[in-house]
Amino acid sequence: MSNTDLEIIVEDPTAPEDDSPSVVSTRTVEIIASLVLLALAIVLGFDNWRTGIAWDSTGPQPGYFPFYLSVILGGASLYGLITTFFARSGSSDTFVTRAQLRRVALVFVPTALFCLATQFLGIYVASFVLIAGFMRMVGKIALWKSLLTAFVFTAIMFVTFDVAFDVIMPKGPIESALGR
Amino acid sequence: MEAFGLLMHGFAVLMTWKIISLMVVGLVLGIFVGVLPGLGGPNGVAILLPLTFTMDPTSAIVMLSCIYWGALFGGAITSILFNIPGEAWSVATTFDGYPMAQQGKAAEALTAAFTSSFIGSLVAVMLITFLAPMISSFALKFGPPEFFAVYLLTFCSFVGLGREAKHKTVISMALGLLIAGIGMDTVSGNLRMTFGSDNLLRGINFLVAVIGLFGISEILLTMEERLALRGHAAKISLRTVLKVWMDLPKYWVTLLRSSVIGCWLGITPGGAIAASFMGYNLAKRFSKDPESFGKGRIEGVFAPETAAHASGTAALLPMLALGIPGSGTAAILLGGLMVWGLNPGPLLFVEHKDFVWGLIASMYLGNVVGLVIVLTTVPVFASILRVPFAAVAPMIVVSCAIGAYAIQNAMFDIWLMLGFGVVGYVFKKIGIPLAPFTLALVLGSRAEDAFRLAMIGSGGSVGVFWSNGLVGTITTLAITLLFWPLIDRAFTAVARIWRPTPVTT
Amino acid sequence: MSKSIRATAALAAVFASAPILSLATSPATAWEPTKPVEIVVAAGAGGASDQMARMMQAAIQKNNLMKAPVVVSLKGGASGAEALIYMKSSEGDANKVLIAYSLIYMLPLSAKIPFNWRDLTPVSVVAMDQFVLWDNAGGAKTVKEFIAAAKAASSPFKMGGTGSKREDHVLTVFMEKQTGAKFSYLPYKSGGEAATQLVGNHTEANVNNPSENLEVWRAGQVRALCVFDKERIAYKTKVTETQSWNDIPTCKEEGLDVQYLMLRAMFLPGKVTPEQQAFYVDLFEKVTKTAEYKDYMEKQALKPIFLKGPEMLKFLEEDDALNKSLMTEAGFVAK
Repeated sequence: MSNTDLEIIVEDPTAPEDDSPSVVSTRTVEIIASLVLLALAIVLGFDNWRTGIAWDSTGPQPGYFPFYLSVILGGASLYGLITTFFARSGSSDTFVTRAQLRRVALVFVPTALFCLATQFLGIYVASFVLIAGFMRMVGKIALWKSLLTAFVFTAIMFVTFDVAFDVIMPKGPIESALGR
Repeated sequence: MEAFGLLMHGFAVLMTWKIISLMVVGLVLGIFVGVLPGLGGPNGVAILLPLTFTMDPTSAIVMLSCIYWGALFGGAITSILFNIPGEAWSVATTFDGYPMAQQGKAAEALTAAFTSSFIGSLVAVMLITFLAPMISSFALKFGPPEFFAVYLLTFCSFVGLGREAKHKTVISMALGLLIAGIGMDTVSGNLRMTFGSDNLLRGINFLVAVIGLFGISEILLTMEERLALRGHAAKISLRTVLKVWMDLPKYWVTLLRSSVIGCWLGITPGGAIAASFMGYNLAKRFSKDPESFGKGRIEGVFAPETAAHASGTAALLPMLALGIPGSGTAAILLGGLMVWGLNPGPLLFVEHKDFVWGLIASMYLGNVVGLVIVLTTVPVFASILRVPFAAVAPMIVVSCAIGAYAIQNAMFDIWLMLGFGVVGYVFKKIGIPLAPFTLALVLGSRAEDAFRLAMIGSGGSVGVFWSNGLVGTITTLAITLLFWPLIDRAFTAVARIWRPTPVTT
Repeated sequence: MSKSIRATAALAAVFASAPILSLATSPATAWEPTKPVEIVVAAGAGGASDQMARMMQAAIQKNNLMKAPVVVSLKGGASGAEALIYMKSSEGDANKVLIAYSLIYMLPLSAKIPFNWRDLTPVSVVAMDQFVLWDNAGGAKTVKEFIAAAKAASSPFKMGGTGSKREDHVLTVFMEKQTGAKFSYLPYKSGGEAATQLVGNHTEANVNNPSENLEVWRAGQVRALCVFDKERIAYKTKVTETQSWNDIPTCKEEGLDVQYLMLRAMFLPGKVTPEQQAFYVDLFEKVTKTAEYKDYMEKQALKPIFLKGPEMLKFLEEDDALNKSLMTEAGFVAK
C-alpha cells in the first residue's frame, strides 16, 4: 500500500543555498575540539592529581579513576589532533557554510537569550516571548497567530505545572505582581 | 498455581470503570510526555505524581504505572519519526528506526517498535508474576563485585562496536565518565573536580545532559539542514500491522535474546538504557549481515525496544520486592508508594496482596490497552509534524528548559542544557559518537562506587571479581565481549584452515 | 494492611472536605505563605528524611494546618550538600523549609562545604533519631559474640552504612576504639541499600536508623543487637513476631559504651522575618501534635521531642560541639 506512508517535507523558503561559502572546515573544528578536550583533560587531570591518585589499603583514592580517565582523554585527543593535523586529504570538508551558520544562529541566539530571560523574567514570560518572537521573526507567521499560539502554549504550561501540580518553576516580577 | 489465582483476583480488583478510565488517561498522558523530548518517563511521572495523592493506592499505582507504559511507548514515536529520542533508552531505536522512516517504512517501524515493546513488557510481567519470590532472593546475591561486573559487561559490550574512529569512541566514553565523576565522591566523602563551584557540587545530572545533547542539538542540526523536520507521517493500517506481525516468528531469536537481557538488566539495576544498547549490539553482533544494521533493518528496531521495555518492566520487581529502584522512574514510583503508606520490602507481597497483584494485573491490562492506543493514535501524535517548524522549535526549546529545570530546580541546569546542546551539535558533526557518552554518564559513578566498595570489602584484591560462580561468569563474559573482535578473527582463521567455507555463528 | 488503607481512605476523605474546613480555620499568625511550601530533603528518595517529609506533608494537608500546598523536594545530591547550598542561596525565601539532620554539622567539616547552620533560621527540633547495631539473622546473636567474631575474622569484617565520614562512619570508628576490633566500612548511597546488602550477606553488620531496617527486621532477615542510646527505646508494641523496639538492649547494657542520637530539625533560609519564623514554629508545633506524627514516631522508633527558640539554639550549639569533637577524634575533619 503506497498511501500508508506519506513523507512530509514542509517547504522551506529560506533554505540555505547550496553554494554558500564555507566558514570553517571540519578539519579546523576537529583541531579546535581536540585542543579544547586536551586542555580539559589537563585541567581535570591536575585537579584529580591534587585530590589523590594513589591506591591505598582500601583501594583507589577519589582522584584515581578520574586522573587516569583524564590521561586517556588527553591521549585520545592528542592522537586525534596529530592524525587530523597530518592527514592530507578527506578532512577539508566544510563544517558549516555561511548560510547554515546564519540559520543555526537564528535558533541558537534566541535560545540563549531565552535562558537569560528565564533567569530574570521567569520561565513563563520568557517562553511567551520566545515562541511569539520566533514564530513572527523567523517563521514569518502572522502576528496574531504567533501571539495566540505563544499565549495558549504558555498558559497550558502554567496551568499544568504551576496551578495543577505545584511544580516550582523559575518566576519573575510579573508572576509576583500577580501574587503567584 | 497460587500465583495464577492471585493474578485473577488482581484482575477482579481492576475491572471497574473508574480504574479502566484512569488507565486510559494515564496512558495518553504518558505517551504525551514520552513524545515531548525533555519530558520523558521519570520527569513525567514525577510531575504527575501529586495528581495521585488523593487516590487510593491501587488506583494511584495503576495510573502512575500506565503513565510509565505510555512514556515507554511514546519514546519510540519521536525516535522513529523525528530521529529525536524522547527517552535515553530510545536512543538505540533511532539507529534503524529513523532510516526505516526515511525509506517510507515508518508505519512498519512504529508497528515493530510497539509490538516489540509489548512483547518485552509481557515477558517481564510474566517473569514478575511467576518468579517474584525467587527473583527477590537472586537480587540479594548482588554485592558490590557483582554490580561492578554487570556494569563492566555493559561497557565492554559497547567498546569496539561503533563505526566511528576508535579514538573518538574513547574520547566520548572517557569524557562521559569524567563528567559523571564531578561532585561528591560517595566512597570517600570528598569533593572532586568542582573547582569551588556550588553548582558543580551536586554533580551533573545525566537527564540534563541528555536533554541538551539530544533535544537542543537536534534543533540546531535540523535548522542547519534544508528545512526543518524531515519527518514522516505514518498512518498505520491494519494491513501493515498484520504484515509485521506475520514476520515476527522470523525474529524469535532476537526477541527472546533481548527479552532475557532486558529482564536481567532490569532486575539487577543496570537500567533500560544499558539494556536497549546491549540488545541492539548483540543483535548486530550475532547477525549474519551486521553491515545492514543502521541502514533501516527491522531487527534493529525489535532488538532495542524489546530489551528496553523488558528492562523497564522488570525494574519494578526489585523496587517492590526489595525497595531498590531499578531505574529512575522506578525510584519515583518508590517515592509514591511511601506517600500512600506502603513500605516496599519483602513483606509487601505478604501484607498488601491486593495492591501488589492489582499492580501486576494492571501491567497486563495496561500493555494491551496501551498497544491499542498507540497503534490507533499515531497519526494524531505524528501530526505534530504538520505544524510549522518555526512554531515547533521554540516549543521544544521551552519543554526542554522546563524538563531540565524541573529535575533539580536549578537555573544552572538550564545553562548546562544549552552548553550540552552545543557540545552535541559539534560532536555529531565531527563524528564523535554520543551513545558511549550517555552510557558513561549514567553508569559511570555507580560502576566506580561498586568497584571501590568491592576493593574495600576484599582488602584490595582484584581476585574478588572471580570469587564466586556468579561474579566470575559475568566478569569473564565481559572480558570475552571486549576482545570479541580478536576472538572472532581467530575463530574464523582456524575455521578457514579446517574447512574452506567460513563457519557462521 | 487494613490500617494503612484506612489511613489513606481517611486522607482522601479529608482532601475532599478540605475546602469546607479551610473556611473554618482562623488565622493564627499575621503572616501565612501563599505559594507552595517546599520541604527540602537533604537525602535521596525513600530515606528516613524523605519519609519524614512526606509524613509532615500528609499531616499538614490532612489536618489543614496551612492553606498553601506542601511539596517535597529531594535535594540529595552530593550526599545532601546540595540541599544545604540550596537553602543557603535562598536567603529571605520563607517558602522553603529544610528537614535537617546531623549533616549540617558534619558536611562542612569533612568536605569543606561552605556552609554553616548559623546562616539559616532555626525553626524547631522535631525528633531525635536512634541508631541500632544490626547483623544478619544468620550471624552472631549478641554483641559479645559479634565483637568476638569481628576480632577473629581473617578477611575484612564489613560494616555497611550511608555515606562516608558521617554519622554511620563515626559510630563505626567509635566501636573500633571501644572494642579493639577492626571493621571495613562500606559507604553505600542510602540506608535502604545498606539494609539489603546486609540481608544478602555482603556486609556483616550495619548501624542503620530503625526506619531504614524496619521492613527487613519484620521479615526476620536481620537481628537488632543493641541501640546506641542511654536508655531503651520506649515503644513496647510488638514489631516483629517476638520483639518490640523496647526489647532491644542498649549497647551499654551489652558492654559497648557508645551513644549517639541524631537530631531531626526544621530550618528556614537566612534573613526571613520574625513573623515568618513564628508561623513555622507554630506550624511544626501543631504537626507534632497530630496523630500522623505520633503514629510515625512509634512506627519508626523515633524519640518525640519539640524544641524552639533559645532552647533550640542552646541544643544546637551543644550538639554542634559534640559532633565536632567526635569528627575530630575520628580523624574525619578535612585539613
